[in-house]
Amino acid sequence: MNELREKAKELLNAGTVKVIIGYAESTTPNRTKPIIVRTIEDADKLVFNKFCVNNLAIYLTRKEYKNKGTVGIVAKGCDVKAIVQLIQENQINKDDIYIIGVNCSGVVSELGQEFSSETIATKCLNCSVRTPHLHHTLIGAIEEMPKRNDHNFETMQKLEAMSSDQKWNFWEAEFERCVKCYACRQACPLCYCERCIADKSIPRWIESSAHTRGNFSWNIIRAFHLAGRCIGCNECERACPAEIPLSLLNRKMGMVAKKEFDYTAGIGLDTPTLVGTYDVNDREEFIK
Amino acid sequence: MGESNIYKPELMEVTEIIDETIDTRTFRLQFKDKELAKNFSFKAGQFGEYSMFGEGESTFCIASSPTRPEYIECSFKQIGKVTSSMRRLSVGDTIGFRGPYGNYFPVEEMKGKNVLFIAGGIGLAPVRCVIWNVLDLRDQFKDITIVYGARSFNDLVYKRELKEWKERKDIKTVVTLDPGGEVPDWDGEIGFVPAIVEKTAPKSENTVAIVCGPPIMIKFTIPVLTKLGFKEENIITTLENRMKCGLGKCGRCNVGNVYVCKDGPVFTYAQMKDLPQEY
Amino acid sequence: MEEKLISHQNMISLVSDLIKANHLVIGQDDKSIGWKRIADAAEIKINHSGIPSNVSYKEFVFAKTEPIFYYKNKKDDFDLVEPNLEERKIVFLGSKPCDARSIEIMSKVFNWDYKDKFFNQRAENSIIFGVACNYQDEFCFCTSVGLTPTTENGSDIFLVPLAENNYAFRIVTDKGKDFIKPYEKYLSDGNSNLSTEALSKIKHPEKRFESEKVRKWITGNFEHKLFDKVGETCLGCGQCAFVCPVCHCFDIVDEECNYSCGRRMKNWDACQFGLFTLHGSGHNPRDNQGKRYRQRIAHKFKYYTDKFDEILCTGCGRCSRGCPVGIDIAAVASEINFVANQV
Repeated sequence: MNELREKAKELLNAGTVKVIIGYAESTTPNRTKPIIVRTIEDADKLVFNKFCVNNLAIYLTRKEYKNKGTVGIVAKGCDVKAIVQLIQENQINKDDIYIIGVNCSGVVSELGQEFSSETIATKCLNCSVRTPHLHHTLIGAIEEMPKRNDHNFETMQKLEAMSSDQKWNFWEAEFERCVKCYACRQACPLCYCERCIADKSIPRWIESSAHTRGNFSWNIIRAFHLAGRCIGCNECERACPAEIPLSLLNRKMGMVAKKEFDYTAGIGLDTPTLVGTYDVNDREEFIK
Repeated sequence: MGESNIYKPELMEVTEIIDETIDTRTFRLQFKDKELAKNFSFKAGQFGEYSMFGEGESTFCIASSPTRPEYIECSFKQIGKVTSSMRRLSVGDTIGFRGPYGNYFPVEEMKGKNVLFIAGGIGLAPVRCVIWNVLDLRDQFKDITIVYGARSFNDLVYKRELKEWKERKDIKTVVTLDPGGEVPDWDGEIGFVPAIVEKTAPKSENTVAIVCGPPIMIKFTIPVLTKLGFKEENIITTLENRMKCGLGKCGRCNVGNVYVCKDGPVFTYAQMKDLPQEY
Repeated sequence: MEEKLISHQNMISLVSDLIKANHLVIGQDDKSIGWKRIADAAEIKINHSGIPSNVSYKEFVFAKTEPIFYYKNKKDDFDLVEPNLEERKIVFLGSKPCDARSIEIMSKVFNWDYKDKFFNQRAENSIIFGVACNYQDEFCFCTSVGLTPTTENGSDIFLVPLAENNYAFRIVTDKGKDFIKPYEKYLSDGNSNLSTEALSKIKHPEKRFESEKVRKWITGNFEHKLFDKVGETCLGCGQCAFVCPVCHCFDIVDEECNYSCGRRMKNWDACQFGLFTLHGSGHNPRDNQGKRYRQRIAHKFKYYTDKFDEILCTGCGRCSRGCPVGIDIAAVASEINFVANQV
């Protein structure tokens, strides 16, 4: 903790960064919340623990921080994936950010819970970036991470085995609960469009009503917009008040990208983006 | 349940279309239901929700005068989904209308007084409604002055009426264009509205000023009026905020705890001063 | 008020009869996400000691999406057709006090001057089986907004969990009394001593703030930096409004079914969205998240109270529990109290 705070103070004092986006203790136990640190005093509020679930990269594309000097950010490996993806997509400039990387040994899936093998987030189970793959400074140490079965993957396998009708029924029941709050979009670091297609009205591509048609078009179109771009932080799923298992869609898209194009979003800073490139030898087996 | 559906519009026919500027149009509308047409009444300053079925609703003031109750008129600029589709309408086509909603200008209390109208751009629409109301009852009011300005000659709305007002001897009409917006044979004033108001120097005694236009114009006109001696309660304007229902329910048009759709849209400067900056 | 007793088994029989009588029985779902129509009485779950569902049941009264009329295009004209309204009774089973008052609170805005028949019809058809709440976590703050875990006000029938799976069955309103008449066979005589004792054991959450202080403070502090501070991390996702039992803002949009017909819909909306107040001209009176958050606080604790003498909040804590960035409305209100006390 001290390491993080001292580093933050040093960066602020030296003028290396103007602000640091990090985590602070919440007023309630087993939770943290994002904090925007501008002063030395606030730097003492910074924490990093098992409850730092949020992907803070979401704030990097905000107007307040874009092109306004170097922004410091406390980032786990999975958050760095989002940062890398944003750099690849030219949404942020690599030189405008200062990554305080933290070695991570897992975070909880839902805030408020105790951390255990039961509650560790799905995204941590197969994490390949426990030491952030891009950072300007690195703090903390790698500890042993609790293990559990990947229930999410088990559900995916069940879905794979289903017929189209069964899949439709499954998703219809899940989307039924959607209230169209768009919390999934707002919580997503890669949903940075200045004007989302859901908000466009001439023509209206996606009906804003929370009925079957509107819910399907929204959730499916969002999944497609994230294909090969989603870095799997699962913030959408966590933000969803209706607990729709959005990760099943996004993870499937990611697996297709991996299988067909050997591409993983948010890993290689110098790899061109999947949807931004074209190769005549691209396989097209996913188009059915 | 006998309750009526407050969201269901009445059908109106477009009976006349007038192009005001390159992107602004005026519709004259008449109720299809004859009974309704006979019983419909409104007051100057009220607004309505205009429907294009399949596109949605838009909020505009009623730009015509309540002294001419056989029709209503609205003027709109092509901006979004609804107004773009409204532009595709021809005479004889159908449009939906809900209203009249909101409060109104105190035309009754203005009787026996001087009236100063100040408008900028399409802000003339709500003012025009009062102008015709007052002109149709000309002998009940004292001196009438109209100061209207627009960015350029092409942005002037109700040009034919401006001409008519200018020609009338019983009112004083000053039309101005922002510097650089004039045309070679322009015979009106050149300058921003606040400056022209100051130059025109209407008397403030026993006078009500009705001011509508872009926020920036209002902001700089009010100090001029105050300097001329206008009391805050005699400066009246209308506020606009995004609305959906117009009925005080959908929750988006409020300025502080004032709902523009029900407590407004007409406010005196005395009232406006107490409102938070949320419009 | 009359006090009766009902066993869990009889409750199942009662619900079974209600379903047979073609009433809509609405109960909490298994996962505590939201509320659903109960098809089988055996599934009922009266949640008196568990966490409130993520989403409140307001959608059954103030629909998340509903047609307000249909239109059909005839040559040069349109036919406007009224939608059918739900005429069945809607029975809310096991409504905690922080939900039970929601319909009454919202009905103020849906009835000042203009009356919204879509809301009213369902509100009038609602029968609320409230239940004393034995759950409390760090987000609960009903006592700060004038309610308690044992408030009966808002319920037509109020259940108090007793030993051996029994419930004290308190008939609170005439509406409740009339409704339950055909089913009296499932009720036995109650003993108010038992329920009073059970109620006395229920712990009340500590009062976290004075809502009246928030109301007064906002007037002179509209531009206070406190709102900007919240806005800084707020994602503007609007989940707070969508899970709230009393947030009632809505949007009106048209949907085409084909070239000649369609419908106009009334859909939930939220003041936390940037587009909510965006003018056609591009001007936006609430152009940052801080201003939007201020609207949320002010609408709940000031505007609604000024206009309707009700706090637009029941202290259920859903918005705070679900907020992805940990904004706790009670903490913000408490901070306002703290700041107000400093002056």
